[in-house]
Amino acid sequence: MPTFEHGTIKIEVDEDGFMDEPSEWNEEVAKALATTEGVQELTEEHWKLVNYLREYYLKFGIAPMIRKLCKETGFPLKKVYELFPSGPAKGACKVAGLAKPTGCV
Amino acid sequence: MPETPEITAATQRTLQGQRLKYYIENEPAGDRVDQFLRAFAAVLEFSDYRPLLDSYCTSSAKCNRCAVSCPVYLATGDPRDIPCYRTNLLLDIYRRYFTIGGAVEARFSRSFELTDDVIDDMLEVFYRCTACRRCTRSCPMGVDHGLITRLGRYALSLIGIVPKALQVSVREQLEGDTHNTSKVPKEALMNTLEFLSEELEDILGVTMTFPVDQTDRDYVFYCAVSDYLMEPETLMGNAAVLYAAGDWDKWTIGTGNYDGINYGLFYSDWHLENIIKRLVAEVTRLRGRNVLIGECGHASRSAHDFVPVFGGKEAYPVVSFIEYTLDCIRKKRITLNPDIITERVTYHDPCNIARSGWIVEQPRDILRSFVKNFVDMVPHGQENYCCGGGGGLVSVDEIHDFRMEIGGRVKAEQLQKVHADIVIAPCANCKKQLKELVEYYELPCKVMGLHDLILKAIEIPGAKSPAERAEEAALLAV
Repeated sequence: MPTFEHGTIKIEVDEDGFMDEPSEWNEEVAKALATTEGVQELTEEHWKLVNYLREYYLKFGIAPMIRKLCKETGFPLKKVYELFPSGPAKGACKVAGLAKPTGCV
Repeated sequence: MPETPEITAATQRTLQGQRLKYYIENEPAGDRVDQFLRAFAAVLEFSDYRPLLDSYCTSSAKCNRCAVSCPVYLATGDPRDIPCYRTNLLLDIYRRYFTIGGAVEARFSRSFELTDDVIDDMLEVFYRCTACRRCTRSCPMGVDHGLITRLGRYALSLIGIVPKALQVSVREQLEGDTHNTSKVPKEALMNTLEFLSEELEDILGVTMTFPVDQTDRDYVFYCAVSDYLMEPETLMGNAAVLYAAGDWDKWTIGTGNYDGINYGLFYSDWHLENIIKRLVAEVTRLRGRNVLIGECGHASRSAHDFVPVFGGKEAYPVVSFIEYTLDCIRKKRITLNPDIITERVTYHDPCNIARSGWIVEQPRDILRSFVKNFVDMVPHGQENYCCGGGGGLVSVDEIHDFRMEIGGRVKAEQLQKVHADIVIAPCANCKKQLKELVEYYELPCKVMGLHDLILKAIEIPGAKSPAERAEEAALLAV
């Protein structure tokens, strides 16, 4: 299993850099993971998205429907792609410490 | 289409060298040749593939007529992508190691030998094939190359060679807590259904609470579970049809199993059977009468073809949502307003429902009933081209570039030529691939499900009219 290191952060990740142990997530980890998604600095808007995903994930065990994510955060999908260029399921979820989506997603 | 250069599928020599690599969870250790031969022997012992392989061994003429029917070969021009070449890899092994003639020949002459290189070749080419089975229709000898791809993948999977993405999804479905490929827990499903109810209330102005775990219903509904994450409009369109037809109290979603996906269809008889049995068991638990499959090509085909095989005494009839909706239109149980959709619309046939001729005209009948400007791609129907992500490939994220550059190139060319504003694809798999293609090639069209479009035009008693809804949507879009 690959290890991802950034500064003082050292975590186990899968082949695409998603966290293996989502429970080890914290804000420092998020900042480190963001660099792998081409996001050098997490702005307030990034955090709004990441925190929403994180909270939903802790409550329901998976990411929300993308439409729900857009509605609840107030960000249209285009904006989500601006914040995380690889999109909600890949980029935003990775930074929020969720596991890689499986199945036809 | 001024900005996008013309996409051409005509043999791209530059693509010949592009290899396909997928993640494998546990690479087999030790002698792979020996392991493969044992696995293949086991498959042959516990199945009926022998007569078929015997027949193909004598009939396969390697005439290569299949070559130009294959969208992968059309893109690369690589001889390894010719269906006959691929099929022959497995037939050579069968001939040499599992027939008397092959064994005798090997004693007296230098004949074919299975090596690590052949295993590597199979590992790649059986997953370069999208299992679309277009070549099967052009083979004068009736060789089903798609079936051989599947059989090769099956034997490989028994020694651990299978894309990780498919393996972890199936494992979750058969052994995990959620029983579905996308790991959607029951609580998340309930929350999503609640959200969809709220959305429907906003859009239509009527309250629909999704029926869950209701017993003695006509229909138990299975979509690709990924729809609960990605396709709200398809699901709302499904719901709107059921509601408008007066069948709201005749269907249910079961929380014991709500995933129609069956990757067993792509690589494993064993998994195919077990997934079908799970699906059937849930219908039995709920005392349902029919299996209703949402917009998903392979989920429809696997249930339609294999519930009768593996369902035993509980082989419930399988109804595709497309058939259900057309039936509602014909019986005048629902009305679609013909003045709402003004865009130019085309229809992409998902291979798994179209190749056999099962579902070809039904969706077109539905579309022509309310879309003024409908146009077909060439070719289409049973002769359609795959989206490029079939056979489970769309779930394998790491081969995205292969799916765009090679697997989906012919489809992209078709989409560019048809000049449609909207392409309808009633399949979770095709939708994802086509959306990625449209983005990759910057094609000016929108990919939607069939019921996404129906949602816009359906007349619902007591609800806002389609024209009112269109006005509201236009205001929101500003």
